[in-house]
Amino acid sequence: MITDEVGTFSDTVEEAAPVEACTKCTACNTVCPVARSTEIFRGPKFLGPESERYRSQPEAAVTAGLDLCSGCKLCEVTCPSQVSIQEYIRRAQNKGAAEKGRTLRDWVLGHTRLLSRFGSMTAPLANLGNRNPLVRWAMERVLGIHHKRPLPRYQWLTFERWFTRRPHNKTARRTVAYFYGCWVNYNERRLGEQVVAILERNGIEVIVPKQQCCGIPAVVNANMDLARKYGGENVRRLSGLPADVDIIASSTSCGLMLKHDYAHLLDIPGAEQVGARVYDICEYLWMLHEAGELNLDFQPVSTRLLYHAPCHLKSHGIGYPAMRLLRLIPGVQLEEVDEGCCGISGTFGVKVEKYDLSMKIGSRLFAAVKAAGTDAVLADCETCRMQVEHGAGAHSAHPIDILARAYGHG
Amino acid sequence: MPDTTTGVVVIGGGSTGAGVLRDLSMRGIEAVLVEKGDLASGTTGRSHGLLHSGGRYCVNDLAAAIECVEEGRILRRIARTTIEDTGGYFVSVSEEDLAWEPRFVEGCAKAGITCERISVEEARRREPALSQHVRTVFWIPEDGHLDPFYLVMGNVESARRRGAQARTYTEVTGFIRDGNQLTGVLTRDTMTGEETSIGCKAVINATGAWAGFVARLLDVEVKVVPVKGVMVVLSHRVAHATINRCHKPGDGDIIVPALSVAILGTTAVKVPHPEVLPIEWDEVRHMIEEGSLMADGVSTARAMRAYAGVRPLYDLGAEAEGREMSRNFAVIDHEQRDGIAGFTSIVGGKVTTYRLMAERVTDLVARRLGVTTPCTTAEVPLNDRDDELDQLRHRPAQLGVPKPHGGERPLQPLVCECELVRPQDVTPWFEDAAVRTLEDIRRRTRTGMGPCQAAICSYRLAGRLVTDRHQDGPTATRAMAELLETRWRGVRHVFWGSQLRQAQVTTGLHLELFNLDRQLMLQAEPAAAPEAVGARQ
Repeated sequence: MITDEVGTFSDTVEEAAPVEACTKCTACNTVCPVARSTEIFRGPKFLGPESERYRSQPEAAVTAGLDLCSGCKLCEVTCPSQVSIQEYIRRAQNKGAAEKGRTLRDWVLGHTRLLSRFGSMTAPLANLGNRNPLVRWAMERVLGIHHKRPLPRYQWLTFERWFTRRPHNKTARRTVAYFYGCWVNYNERRLGEQVVAILERNGIEVIVPKQQCCGIPAVVNANMDLARKYGGENVRRLSGLPADVDIIASSTSCGLMLKHDYAHLLDIPGAEQVGARVYDICEYLWMLHEAGELNLDFQPVSTRLLYHAPCHLKSHGIGYPAMRLLRLIPGVQLEEVDEGCCGISGTFGVKVEKYDLSMKIGSRLFAAVKAAGTDAVLADCETCRMQVEHGAGAHSAHPIDILARAYGHG
Repeated sequence: MPDTTTGVVVIGGGSTGAGVLRDLSMRGIEAVLVEKGDLASGTTGRSHGLLHSGGRYCVNDLAAAIECVEEGRILRRIARTTIEDTGGYFVSVSEEDLAWEPRFVEGCAKAGITCERISVEEARRREPALSQHVRTVFWIPEDGHLDPFYLVMGNVESARRRGAQARTYTEVTGFIRDGNQLTGVLTRDTMTGEETSIGCKAVINATGAWAGFVARLLDVEVKVVPVKGVMVVLSHRVAHATINRCHKPGDGDIIVPALSVAILGTTAVKVPHPEVLPIEWDEVRHMIEEGSLMADGVSTARAMRAYAGVRPLYDLGAEAEGREMSRNFAVIDHEQRDGIAGFTSIVGGKVTTYRLMAERVTDLVARRLGVTTPCTTAEVPLNDRDDELDQLRHRPAQLGVPKPHGGERPLQPLVCECELVRPQDVTPWFEDAAVRTLEDIRRRTRTGMGPCQAAICSYRLAGRLVTDRHQDGPTATRAMAELLETRWRGVRHVFWGSQLRQAQVTTGLHLELFNLDRQLMLQAEPAAAPEAVGARQ
């Protein structure tokens, strides 16, 4: 593992503390994007550790308002006592849904992989349908998916199929397994192609093990059993990889599931060992750089860029490796837009009753992006990119896109 | 001429006094209760809150056990909202406990206590917190938790609705006599120093551990032995049901899940004075160690505070000491015993049997006053009014949020997030003249009884003093400091782990951010400094 050579950014992170560690300092409420944007949300402190004290009581299931938690995890990142606030909220929401029954929308949004697969298979038609006002009206009425929310475009050729068709490069010093996730597979194959190209440019062999949805859509849509099933499949497959193969992910949230949530939220056996060898793509490339192995043969890229750090990236506890990497490229002018959560939080901002809230959460970010007027907004997370494009009308890309351009793979 | 007159003056605002006040008012006897501190601020408010099935007394103190059985059943009828029907386990963890079992089973049978032996596996299935040390288990369905604050407030409110009065922070300083007949009491407000007199036909001394002090004002002796018990509060319930060691009652052998917390108890140490209740580190540690033998999670749970209460054991003249003494009670008719007409004391007993104690003493006093209306406290529920005292455990369900698309309505802010106290839970008490301090608000609403121990709610309550009681800033600030000070007295005994970190946050907030010490220093001394109220928790 690369960690053995250069260490990690996150190896000082302490074990999560029990609910009793909460000192009511309220730091979590002050960073919560939802609590900041609406008066109808009591905030993570109340729905997490404070309500948790009552959840063991037979008559008092504190479930009201749990669905307003977007799952950004900023509360956990901020908590000075390492309380697993999100885990308490998710477990309670899941328990409530299991008792009351899940909605059709919960089921649909939890099964995004199935949905994407279908969308990809019927790509031109699905994309047309997703832009048809009548279809969107029906979707809002039946599924509760807001008609104004742009849905991702599907592509017919999946990353998985693209990868198996290409000639395989085997002469390499290192091998990594790429967890591309549903987004790259069904919606943005080009990002996956760039990841592979950049890694191979650095003399690293890329293998693509068979994989399942990471499970995060199921977690946030109150279906932890499904998430556990998906996670179990992934852990089983990734555990089988040779010991010297690191795992990289280009989606922040998929990476976070593999790294942390499989072991802690979902209690999947063997997940701890798998998680220890998972790296975000930019994190991994930066570590290569620290090891003196990163190919620095960059072409100048003359561009002004904003970087938006996704909330789930903050949960990784690795800083912003994308910014450090891109600043190695001549010509890149990169500033961080430090305006907090974009508001979409995966499937949260898609829902009819949350759309306005989601746009309100992101309004500060949108205003800053519009004011800056840069060429593009970079974000490691695909739904952040969707939201910035929708809310600020700006072009957005994964940081890897700029790196690929510097390597001549633009 | 006394300032006011009434039928009976009841001295003492614990469960017994409150029960007597209600009983008198229900028999149509005019009555005034006087209490030198706040209601439920002495023995009652510092009990461990176990609603006794009688199991703890059935071997050594059968009479007390039988009373507990009967009264427990009555309370379940009349005081529904103050009781959590948790049921209880009696567990054996040592050879000694196993040897005690046959006597326990026999005692239960004699006292009429429902007692069922269940397998350890079955018990652990029902109560996963039971420790690995547990060897045998009895299920006692009639153990439970009795909230002492709600109980006292419920009794007093019920009496008030029938015209009775309750005066807090009112200490009895002397009696008015007409020969051998008591005709009134002299009182002094412990905060303002104001002196008043109340004319009456009879006085009931229901001051528990303080009964001897009151009796001494009349030069008569009432021998009450104050026996201290130390308790530790954990920040969550730990177990679903009460857990008792199945052995001769000893130290640290009860765990009571009480609303949002668990209470570990207790010790039994004879003390020289009911207000001298030091808490030693060894006692706190012993509670936690003994508790850990019965339930997992006791030693790792967050200890929030420790407190000590005092049992008012009545010395029947036997050789017994401490726990060996009976938990039975006695009505002392001072007219017969000491020749003082109109004075009666009620001593001994326990919170679970408060109603029966009240009934017995009221029977005597009513007879002397020529009132023949029978006692109905066993039949008429406390909450004979719909908007009776709120029950904490129903609050979480009440704290729902409106649906976002159903029109945004801002959430009602909470006064105390730890204990889910809403503004409407607090507001009526600010209008009540009996409520003088923020501690009094705490006892009535649980505000400040959660893990942060008033770090957050204290300044909200101080704000309410300004808005609701029109106090000036410095006065409200001083009240806030007093609340934090009383919380601190309990918290300082458990300074480790999370509660130590909590104290760091609290001191950071109040001493650094609010600069509380400096603010208090800048204030002139209050005109009439409140005297140390002994019955303060």
